[in-house]
Formats: sequence, C-alpha cells, structure tokens
Amino acid sequence: MTASDPILSVRDLTARIVSRKQIVDAVKGVSFDIARGEAVGFVGESGCGKSVTARAIMRLAPEGTRVELGGSVHFDGQELLPMSEAAMRDVRGRRIAMVFQDPMTSLNPVITVGAQIDDILRRHTGLSGRAARARTVELLDQVGIPAPAQRADDYPHQFSGGMRQRVLIAIAISCDPDLLIADEPTTALDVTVQAQILRLLLRLREERGMSLMLITHDFGVVAGMVERVNVMYGGRIVEAASVDDIFRAPTHDYTRALLAAVPRLDRHGVAP
Amino acid sequence: MKRVILVRSMWMAAILLGVSFVSFMLMRALPGDFVLAAAGAQMLQPEVLEAMRRDLGLNQPLIEQYLSWLGAVLKGDFGTSFVTHQPVLHELWPRFLVTLELALIAAFIALVMGVSTGLVSARLRGAADWIVRLYNGFILAVPNFVVGTLIVLLVGLYFPELAVLSYTPFLEDPLGNIAGMILPAFALALAISVTISENTRAAVLEVSNQDFVMVARAKGLLPRTILWNYLMRNALTPIITVTGLQVATLLGGSIVIETIFAIPGMGQYLFDSITSRDYPVIQAIVLVAAACVVFINTLADIAYATADARVEA
Repeated sequence: MTASDPILSVRDLTARIVSRKQIVDAVKGVSFDIARGEAVGFVGESGCGKSVTARAIMRLAPEGTRVELGGSVHFDGQELLPMSEAAMRDVRGRRIAMVFQDPMTSLNPVITVGAQIDDILRRHTGLSGRAARARTVELLDQVGIPAPAQRADDYPHQFSGGMRQRVLIAIAISCDPDLLIADEPTTALDVTVQAQILRLLLRLREERGMSLMLITHDFGVVAGMVERVNVMYGGRIVEAASVDDIFRAPTHDYTRALLAAVPRLDRHGVAP
Repeated sequence: MKRVILVRSMWMAAILLGVSFVSFMLMRALPGDFVLAAAGAQMLQPEVLEAMRRDLGLNQPLIEQYLSWLGAVLKGDFGTSFVTHQPVLHELWPRFLVTLELALIAAFIALVMGVSTGLVSARLRGAADWIVRLYNGFILAVPNFVVGTLIVLLVGLYFPELAVLSYTPFLEDPLGNIAGMILPAFALALAISVTISENTRAAVLEVSNQDFVMVARAKGLLPRTILWNYLMRNALTPIITVTGLQVATLLGGSIVIETIFAIPGMGQYLFDSITSRDYPVIQAIVLVAAACVVFINTLADIAYATADARVEA
C-alpha cells in the first residue's frame, strides 16, 4: 500500500432502508474515492441520499429501521461491509468519526460534556482517570472552548449551539481519526457561528492531516473547504468534479440548478 | 438548597393539615359513631349513650373537637384508643413498622421486575416485547387481592410446609420474618411492577430515537455503556416519577394484602378501627399514611433533580 492509495474507496454502494411501513432505495449505486488528507464535499438537496451514504460507511442505521447495504466500502485496506459488529465498533470513533447536524440534540443531556469525551477516550485510547481528564481539557481547548477545565464539568444545556457543535467536534477528533465525516455540521447554526465552525474544521483538518467528507446542501459551505465535490441527486452521484470546475463550468443540469439556487449579493433580488 | 427544604417543609405541613381536617370531618360524616358501634346490638338507653359521648368529648362542636385534637397532636399526643384505652402511638408504631417493611420489600420487587421487563421489552422488541406486553395487560386486569388469594391457596395446597399464613415477628426470627414477607410483598408488587414496566418501556423507546444515541454509537462505545449511560440515565427521570406515584399507592394496597395474608400491619389496624369508629386511631393512621406519601414524593423529586441536572429541585 502506498500513500497515494485512497483512504476510502466506495464502489457501487447501495442502501435500502427497510422499515415496518415501507422500503426505500435511498442510495442506488454510488462510487467515489477519498484520498489521504483530502477533503471531499457531497452536495445535494434533502433526501438525495448523502446522509444515508455517510451513515452507510459507518454502518449506522436509525433505531427501529434496518438498512440493507450492497457494494463495497474499502477503508484503509479493510472491507467494512462484511466486518463483524464488534470489529466495526473499533473502527467507529477511532478510525472514522462523525459530526452530526443538530448539536442541540446530539449530546447526552444528563451527563457532563467532559464525561462524554472521557467515555470515547476510555473506549479507544486506553487513557483513564487523570490522563483521560487532561486529554479532555486539551481537546476542549483545541476546539476553542474558553476555560476548558471548568467547562468540562458543565452539562450540555449550559452551552450555546455553536459551543455544543465544538464539543461534538472535540469528541469526533478525540481519537485522531483518519477520516472525519461531517454531516451538515453547520445547518442548524447561525451564519456567523457557521463560519467559525467551518474555520475550525479546516484548521483541525490541516493540523492533523485527516481526510474530510463534508456533506451539505449549501454550495457556499463547500467553497474554500474542499478540493473535490460530488453532486448527489436521487440516490446517485450525478456530477463529480474539482471544486473550481464545479463553480466555473458545471456540466450537469441539476448542478446548474443547485448553483443558481444559491442567493448572491451581487445580483438583484436582494432583500431590502 | 436551604430555601428548597424550607419551602418543601411548609408545603408538607399544609398538605398534612388539609388531609387531617378532611379525614376528621369525613369520619364524623359517616352514619353511626363510636358509641353506637360499641353498643352494637345492645339496646342502651339514649341517656347512657349521651353520657358515653360526653365522657369522650364527642358532644362538643366538631370544629372544637378538631382543634383540641390538633393541639394535642402538635404536642406529640395522639390520644388514646377508644377501644383498647392504650395510647395510640404505642399501638400504631409496631404495626407501622410491619407495613413499612412490607411496602419496602414490595417496592423493591416491583422496581426490579418492572424495570427489567420494561427494558427487555424495549430493547429486544419482537417476540419478547409481545410476551411482556401480553403479560402486563393480563396482570393489570387482575386485582391484587385475586393474585394474593391465589398465592395463598396454591402455596397452601402444593407447599404446605411453607406456612404462608403464619407471621413471624422480626425480632424473634429476622430471616423467617423476611421470608414470610416475600409472598405478600410479591402479591402487592405485581400490579405496580406492570405500571413501572410499561413506563420503562415507553421511556427507553423514546430515548432510543434521540440523536445522542446515534452519536454514542458513532463513537464506537460498547453496547453496555450506551445502555447504562445513554439510555437508562435518560429514561430514569420518567421511571422515578411513576415509581414515586406508584409506591405511594402501596399503603392502600397493603390493607387488602395484610388481611389476606394475616399480617398484623397498619392496614388491618385501620380496617378494624374504621369498623369500630375508633376516631383517634383512624386520625393517627391517616396522618402517618399521608406523611409517608408526601415524604415519598419529596424523595422522588430529589432523585429527579439528582438524575437530571436540568431540573431545579
């Protein structure tokens, strides 16, 4: 294996969501690579299958539903789909980490934020007691939480939305993952806070050389964050290009429509 | 915290005052009084009855009777039983301890059975869920005196050496006492365990769908960490609430169960004293029972605030 091998290689991935009421083919055969240290954006409207793709890589399904996966997910020399659940648990959080959309509901409300970083450290790094605590404070500091040693003992409801997302990012990077999947990480946040969180992700990615899979419905988020973009529609990737090409010369009609939907200040139609 | 305790205590005092007043008046509103009940079938002269009432102070206006009773209680004097002429506290205390023991054992059984079946039902779903819910529905439909009677009959029939109906005092034989309490406590606990089970199931299912459980799985945490620190810790608050409310009903249920299993507790004492209109005893039991309920609810509130930092006590 060489450094140029992609860290993640997905081929013909399909995901069929089976719930009691219906069966939905959410992902209908997507293929893509993410190189080591590379950042790739996934753009598309709600329901296009981008979040299901991300969760399929982690082999996570919402409670009460079953997701049948097909195709192959090759991660750093391992095939993830046939892996046992126990082996998969060693990958989750340690090799591949995930940041979710809604920071208001993504933290456990009844235990302190420090304890929620401690538990993943204990699980994957073998740190415990004072060492885990020191690392927790260090991580909170790295994601820009002021007075981290005191804040570690606070509960999630004592943090703002942006601060909670920082905590969730601290959890995600705690075990130095090779790949970070960020699923609409800024959608639930104010515009000013969005920019801060994106800058934080960018900085952490550069410092750590980790790969980033950035999922969003907003082309504005992708620009300046990633090298390549996959545009998804109806469970398929309809266009894959470098971020410069996408903005300069989108080839697919759907991509053009998506780009045209981005509000721009230099055109008319600006709110008074 | 000091302020909370102060507010709580005043609240408790107000509730107890209200309960004592209402029960006092309700008992007097019942047809017949102690004198008539004591006279029974004998046809006594009205003058004799009147003289008895005067001796016991029952001829005073109701509100005066209440106030003098209240004044004595505030000084720690619960009066003497009309029937036995013994101080009420002296008779009530050992019986209260028996009922308390029964209720505590029942609460423990109900909590263990309820939480475990609710958890199994919510986590395993499928066939296990169906069995638990069917069982819950069945038990809920059967009153606990039926279950109690069945236990007495079946155990008496097939395990006569267990001697269900012989109560052993705790001080004589602690182990034998607790062993003898288990079956009645079980009968008392069944209905409550079902309510706890159903509520545990609903709470765990609700928490399972929360985003933070998905985050916990994405962290690669072990299933048991997720179960205890994420699911149960969050399901705990509704479970505490329902358990607090249910345990308070144990005192009422114990009247029936104590009668069936011939346990000399407060329930049987209350039943006897109501039949004979032994007012001082009834008043004391009602006050003690109300104090227990208020105390249990306060405990539940404190547990609630401890389990969830968002709740101000």
